[in-house]
Amino acid sequence: MKPKLIIGIVAIVGFTSLLMYNFGESISTYTTFEGAADRSTAHIPGTWDEEKGAGFSMETKRFTFFMKDEDGVSRKVVYPKPKPNNFEDADQLVVIGEMRGDIFYANEMLMKCPSKYNDDPGKFVNASES
Amino acid sequence: MIGILGKTLISASFVASLFAMIFYFVAANRDDYKILRIGNWLFTAKAVFLVAASGILMYLIFQHQFQYYYVFNYTSLDLTPRYLFSAFYGGQEGSFMLWILISAFLGFGLMKWARPPYKAPVLFFMTLTQVFLLSMLLGWDIFGLKLGASPFRTIAQEMPNAPFLQTNPDFVPTDGSGLNDLLKSPWMMIHPPILFVGFAMMTIPYCFAMAALWKQKYNEWVSPALPWTLTANVALLTAIFLGGYWAYVTLSFGGYWAWDPVENASLVPWLIGTAGIHTMIIQRKSAVAQKSSILFAILAYVAVVYETFLTRSGILGSSSVHSFVDLGLYNQLLAFMLVVTLVGLGLFFWRYKELPSPEKESKVLSREFMTVTGAMLLLILGLVIILGTSSPILGQLFVENPTPPEISFYNNWSMPIVMIMAIFTVLGQFLFWKKYDAESLASALINPLLVTSVVTIASIIIGDVRNLYYMAYLFCGYFAIFGNAWVLVRLAFQKPKLTGGSLTHIGFGLLLVGILASSAYNEPLVDQKTANYNAAVERGEVTDEQGFTVRQKEEMLVLNLNEPVLIDDRYMVTYEGYELDNSVRRGQQNYKIKFEPVNGGKAFYMQPEVYPMLTSSNQENIQWSVDPDVRTGLLSDIYLYVGGSSYVQEQNDRIAGTGSGMMQNAATQDQDTLNNDPAVQAINFTPGQTIDVGKFKIRFVNYSRADSTELPPNTTIGVRAEVELIHPASSRIFTIDPLFAVYSEDDQSYIYSPPSWVSEFDLEFQFTQIIPQDNSIELTVSGLEEEYEPDWVLIVADEKPFISIVWAGTFILMAGFSVSIFRHWGRERKKNTES
Repeated sequence: MKPKLIIGIVAIVGFTSLLMYNFGESISTYTTFEGAADRSTAHIPGTWDEEKGAGFSMETKRFTFFMKDEDGVSRKVVYPKPKPNNFEDADQLVVIGEMRGDIFYANEMLMKCPSKYNDDPGKFVNASES
Repeated sequence: MIGILGKTLISASFVASLFAMIFYFVAANRDDYKILRIGNWLFTAKAVFLVAASGILMYLIFQHQFQYYYVFNYTSLDLTPRYLFSAFYGGQEGSFMLWILISAFLGFGLMKWARPPYKAPVLFFMTLTQVFLLSMLLGWDIFGLKLGASPFRTIAQEMPNAPFLQTNPDFVPTDGSGLNDLLKSPWMMIHPPILFVGFAMMTIPYCFAMAALWKQKYNEWVSPALPWTLTANVALLTAIFLGGYWAYVTLSFGGYWAWDPVENASLVPWLIGTAGIHTMIIQRKSAVAQKSSILFAILAYVAVVYETFLTRSGILGSSSVHSFVDLGLYNQLLAFMLVVTLVGLGLFFWRYKELPSPEKESKVLSREFMTVTGAMLLLILGLVIILGTSSPILGQLFVENPTPPEISFYNNWSMPIVMIMAIFTVLGQFLFWKKYDAESLASALINPLLVTSVVTIASIIIGDVRNLYYMAYLFCGYFAIFGNAWVLVRLAFQKPKLTGGSLTHIGFGLLLVGILASSAYNEPLVDQKTANYNAAVERGEVTDEQGFTVRQKEEMLVLNLNEPVLIDDRYMVTYEGYELDNSVRRGQQNYKIKFEPVNGGKAFYMQPEVYPMLTSSNQENIQWSVDPDVRTGLLSDIYLYVGGSSYVQEQNDRIAGTGSGMMQNAATQDQDTLNNDPAVQAINFTPGQTIDVGKFKIRFVNYSRADSTELPPNTTIGVRAEVELIHPASSRIFTIDPLFAVYSEDDQSYIYSPPSWVSEFDLEFQFTQIIPQDNSIELTVSGLEEEYEPDWVLIVADEKPFISIVWAGTFILMAGFSVSIFRHWGRERKKNTES
């Protein structure tokens, strides 16, 4: 075998493993409020717990609501932005952030809305994107 | 009835297409151009049927035939003609139709311009892709096996179990569910057609590459394929730009790119197509890279089909939460993808051994090496993005229920790759036009390097860049700009037609610099107090009530009416009220926010909008949507949207107060209980007097006559007061005329003063007394909050430096590609007239 070929193969294998390793690190799994307790960042899918309301507080400038995760556990979620468009409309939410005590601090929120126009109806939209 | 005709036409189109494909196959196999002509006739029939079916769909949309699901789901009566037109391709089925329509027209182009021996096989592969695409629209049901989703299916077919259809099978909705407000934008009208032009054109290099493999002629296909590939790239780039620009000015995430799967779906084919352009150009020049040209041409279209599969099949939603509404096309799309990929790569590897390879390897310092390496880097970048986008599938190697990768995955990998690319663009361009060895190249590059260094250092100082990595990145970006500009200037005098390459690479460099500046140096515009708070958050000094460290910065600001706030030490920002504007959208508020630069620049206004989403709002529940305002500047943009306002809150409270609505706002609910006992205030006015009451001004204009029919019997005094309630925040004036009457009954005098309502603010006015001594009147106003809040608005404002550079880079890329199109197309046309 030519040395060039060997170098090439080593480079490709090295690059691919590094890429796959990093890819594996940068994805995580969807979890629940309970499962989020021991993660620094968690993606939690769920639905808005309508009965407990939702509101934006002018003092803390945070949007607060309760979300039921897939186990049916309802927890308070704090989101540091104004209430996203379509919030009430969303069939499903995914909050991304961390659990502290009984409160989930979301840095990001994705909403699945019954879309009217999209090529892929029901595409998730980033809360801050809609 | 007419729907059945439409469905039949699509079926006829499919069948004609199938037969055209067979005839093209035979023609290609036997090189028989009589049979090819039959194929052409069938192809034409296919196109005619398809155009007729599209005409019918368009007719149904314009006639508001809501019994058809497609019309019901994507349009409504209030849409203007242009949005009705764009609703044609608003849904999945219609967008497939548009794609095939464009592809069919391109087919005629190929009939005219493609030359033997490629002509027949090219048309065969083009038709093959159309057969698959048409099958998505069939709506056939063969013994329970569903094939395609017809745009002509009725509501009854779509929702056979809907209760309203059970009671009345002939039910036709009076109105459709309409078009999402966010998509009512001219950008979104033209974005899909241009995208599909790109997708359809990207089929052509694939067809040529396959034809080359079939006919074993591996060199000549590149020249005719090149202009098509270039045009496909410009179309995709334009579509990407339109999508990004729309997202920037319409959505509130304040950026043009978010690595969303839908965005990646158009970027990856563009990257691989660009890789193909590089190898095709170098193959034409120096008869190298035959293998990679064919491979890239195949992969670019495979990427189109793969990304179509990802975004339309519902597989992105196969993990627990993403349950996409899916048309059941999964299997068909999978088959399409597998056929395109396996036939493409299969034939490629079948012929691999006999594909020509260069006799000797290229030197490192040669245009061949540089160009092919650049193309490889483009491919690698494309593959990295595909990997990220495929996380629902490939992520399962690592975890169950995988989430999409973090944005940093894309950024971390693309940054070093594009940096190397930037260096290679310059080396490649220098070597492309002249032979250099290491020494002479180094001396030729001294001047561009000097300029690059000076500009980089200046940028680092002026922009206060502290990150080493960013400094290196900036250097690479500038090097691409100035190095290629050097080549451009030299070429422009000698051979202006050949400047496409250097121009494109300048655009690329500008894009790199612009992307870094606009995303890494994006500053929220906040006042001093918030800035201090954010700095404290950054240092980790802020804790919340439970003792946890706060990590979320505050990027919003409340402005009270007419109270200027100093923002970022640069602007005095004043909220000057809002206007209600029903002309564009019912219930829309246009906010007026004045920016006065403190160093004495010209003052300007930002006018963000808030409006209720028509498609999803109703009496009990208003869903507010925001439309940001962007002030575009040469050096930086100001981007601002309204996240909430006292008006919006009042409207929500009003709805919540009627009890029928949902709990809109927990925080205001608390306030409501506090204010349950609305204050009653009695105020005295003389005629013409205006009194400030809370956030209103009330003016007693004068007395007016009371109509005797409205008065009780035996009235001794009956008079009205003409009163204006002025709401300065929205510059609205409500005129009321409460009545005051004194009447006698059983020798007793009674006062009759019925309340007048201003429902907008839930205020009640009573004209309760006349005081003759000073000619004044007493008005009793109930509903005024005792401790009134001034009108306020919550804004989120960002300063985004050098977005203009991103757009400029994009335009220059487009311009560069266009120059190349003219060059290569001009050459092809000459060949056509010769043959």
